[in-house]
Amino acid sequence: MNPLHRPFVATLLLLAALPLLATAALALGALFDADAWRALAQDPLWPRALGMSLWTGLASTTLAWWATRALLAQAFVQQRLARLLRGLPAMLATPHAAFAIGLAFLIAPSGWLLRGLSPWLTGFDFPPPWPTTQDPWGLGLIAALVFKEIPFLLWTAATQLQRDDVRQRWRAEHALAQTLGYSPQRAFDRVVWPQLAPRLFGPLVAVLAYGLTVVDMALVIGPASPPTLAVLAWQWLQDADLATNAQGAAAGGVLALAVLVCALAGRGLQTVAVHRARQGPGTRGCPAARSPIQPVRPEPVEGLSNTSACTAPGLRQAQPERHRVNHVKTPMGAWLLAAVYAAVLLALAVGSVAGVWPFPALWPETLTLQAWASVWASRGTVLTTLGLAAASAALALVWSVAWLETAPRRWDATLRPLLYLPLVLPAVLWVVGLYSLALWLRLEGRWPALLLAHTLMALPYVLLALAPAYTGFDPRYRAISDSLGRSRAHFLLRIKWPLLRRALAASAAVGFAVSVAQYLPTLYLGAGRWATVTTEAVNLAAGAQRSLTSAYAGLQWLLPVLGFALAAWVGRPRRFTVAAA
Amino acid sequence: MTLSVHITTLGSAQRTLLRGLRFQVPPGAVLTLMGPSGSGKSSVLAAMAGTLASVAEGAEALSFEGSVYLNGADLTHTPTAQRGIGLLFQDPLLFAHLTVAENLLFAVPPGPRAQRQAAVQQALAEADLAGYGERDPATLSGGQRARVALMRALLAQPRALLLDEPFSRLDATLREQFRTFVFDHIRSRGIPAVLVTHDRADIADPTRVLELPHAG
Repeated sequence: MNPLHRPFVATLLLLAALPLLATAALALGALFDADAWRALAQDPLWPRALGMSLWTGLASTTLAWWATRALLAQAFVQQRLARLLRGLPAMLATPHAAFAIGLAFLIAPSGWLLRGLSPWLTGFDFPPPWPTTQDPWGLGLIAALVFKEIPFLLWTAATQLQRDDVRQRWRAEHALAQTLGYSPQRAFDRVVWPQLAPRLFGPLVAVLAYGLTVVDMALVIGPASPPTLAVLAWQWLQDADLATNAQGAAAGGVLALAVLVCALAGRGLQTVAVHRARQGPGTRGCPAARSPIQPVRPEPVEGLSNTSACTAPGLRQAQPERHRVNHVKTPMGAWLLAAVYAAVLLALAVGSVAGVWPFPALWPETLTLQAWASVWASRGTVLTTLGLAAASAALALVWSVAWLETAPRRWDATLRPLLYLPLVLPAVLWVVGLYSLALWLRLEGRWPALLLAHTLMALPYVLLALAPAYTGFDPRYRAISDSLGRSRAHFLLRIKWPLLRRALAASAAVGFAVSVAQYLPTLYLGAGRWATVTTEAVNLAAGAQRSLTSAYAGLQWLLPVLGFALAAWVGRPRRFTVAAA
Repeated sequence: MTLSVHITTLGSAQRTLLRGLRFQVPPGAVLTLMGPSGSGKSSVLAAMAGTLASVAEGAEALSFEGSVYLNGADLTHTPTAQRGIGLLFQDPLLFAHLTVAENLLFAVPPGPRAQRQAAVQQALAEADLAGYGERDPATLSGGQRARVALMRALLAQPRALLLDEPFSRLDATLREQFRTFVFDHIRSRGIPAVLVTHDRADIADPTRVLELPHAG
């Protein structure tokens, strides 16, 4: 082996681990400040703000979890998983903030929802003075979080279900449970879900941590008085007074603790639920077949009526089996999800060119490109966004490839938990650590500090996206290449990386999208001197410039989508010019 | 309790696996379906159990035209869950997230808790596995797993049993024991059974054998 191999891997490790550890240590270090905790304890706002955080975070996580289970069950039973997953990439690429802005416009008193119902149903000739965009109950925030997290949970479940060995085994078990008399739905509940759910616990914690600590979405569509604790902490962090800043860091510490406690409680609940399901009463969810051995006992049937629960989909009448496959409909829930995303994106698109738009007209009276003209006038913002995203995605990709290519498996396993730090620590706390690090490096407010922040955030996503394909690469190709006398460089450049082109491009696009969506680190590390489409969109959302806000939010969606489109083009399969004879 | 099956055609959109198959199995008897691999014998079982859709997806999805009658009742379009036809696969397919006893309990029809537990204990004893209830299925030997799978299928009180090469994964000694075990249970319950195999040594009753032609 090359004598430089070990030092090289060690350097790579330090390159990633040092800033991650330093940031985490500095962030946690900020919590050792007794004055800050005293100030926090005396603050009258934070208990209610914490209550609001817990309510919105837990409610949205629970609803997203239930909805995911229902959608998966329906798709699995009807064998329509592929169709359910088709729309996912566009939904996943939608940044949280852009989605919140679009949803807020939809449900606002002057939004499409009420326009559609007025005046024929509601009788309104003017938008009612309802607090629907930043409702004090946090319902808008919950809705936005639920719709944004369902695609993520579905996607992580799909990565499990799309493994051939797992899917075939679960299909067989599902069929077997039916031969034992369980309805398709009940068979899913008792056999497939209990095996799938524990594998989704990690993603569930990520959803929970996000819901409890999100700032950008809460600023757009969350309650204002009191706001969630994350927003309150963010306001304190931006204060000119250093003592108030420390109080904000302490509030971030409270949030970190809340995430930990909720995750542990969730673990406990899941264990109890799984245990109870194992000893279940054996109800089949449908009438039992008659038995020759002993008379069937009358059984209580829960929930759905017998016929709908037990009739196989598309088989309500005695149809010949041959026609069965063509008649299955896409589940209602999947339609609803797709419709909400389509409506949100349409609201942003139309909103960005709307001029005069009196209530309750469904379409603007005049269309104008004014908003896009002002976006063009401040195109530096877009260039900053693109530059940061491209640079951080490239850095994260280069590092990930070098790491996966050279690092021993054991090292990789050790590093992984470190990489998840920026995902599980509340963003309000993470940026405190990042800022201290930037101060120490004398980078605060400068472009390299932003690049560092964005790269650290993109890194775990890029590595997670790339690792399965990269580590799953058939090692025999290397053996063939070596046996043909080719160098390693030749092998990498001419064989391995071209073959992995699609995975490489896709994970770079993931990193690009993550960078575009960054709000807190951009504002905080940039000391307000750097604007990206995301900071513009979120900051404008508080104001009244609907069309400009829509334009920036639309752009925030468009940039990552273009990134994914470019990745798909780069990773397209090679077209061979000579067709098979 | 006679099982009668008539399959006009069976296959996917691309190809027909077989056509014109007709047979009857009286209670307590075991019919053996023989055929080379690819002749569609497992698909015949799937058609009878109503699980054809689970075998393959998409363009390769299988379907059949014909009828399945059990004791004079038409089951052709009845959902699997309501057919009361048990199926024993080549692999025991014990649910990995449940203990041995929980696997058996899963099959017991609803009823008072104590009665259901008693049924499980009795089944364990019958399978010579008393005391194995709390074990992880993965810790059982191949023969033990096969017996649990059969007991699980029987605990659901099926009105007919289908066996898809259930002996092929067992070595010669175990195979003989398990064969006797299975056929005894079928006879004592008086239910019709269909066995699919490619091995002549597995034939249950030499007077009831049906040879499937090679798919053409």
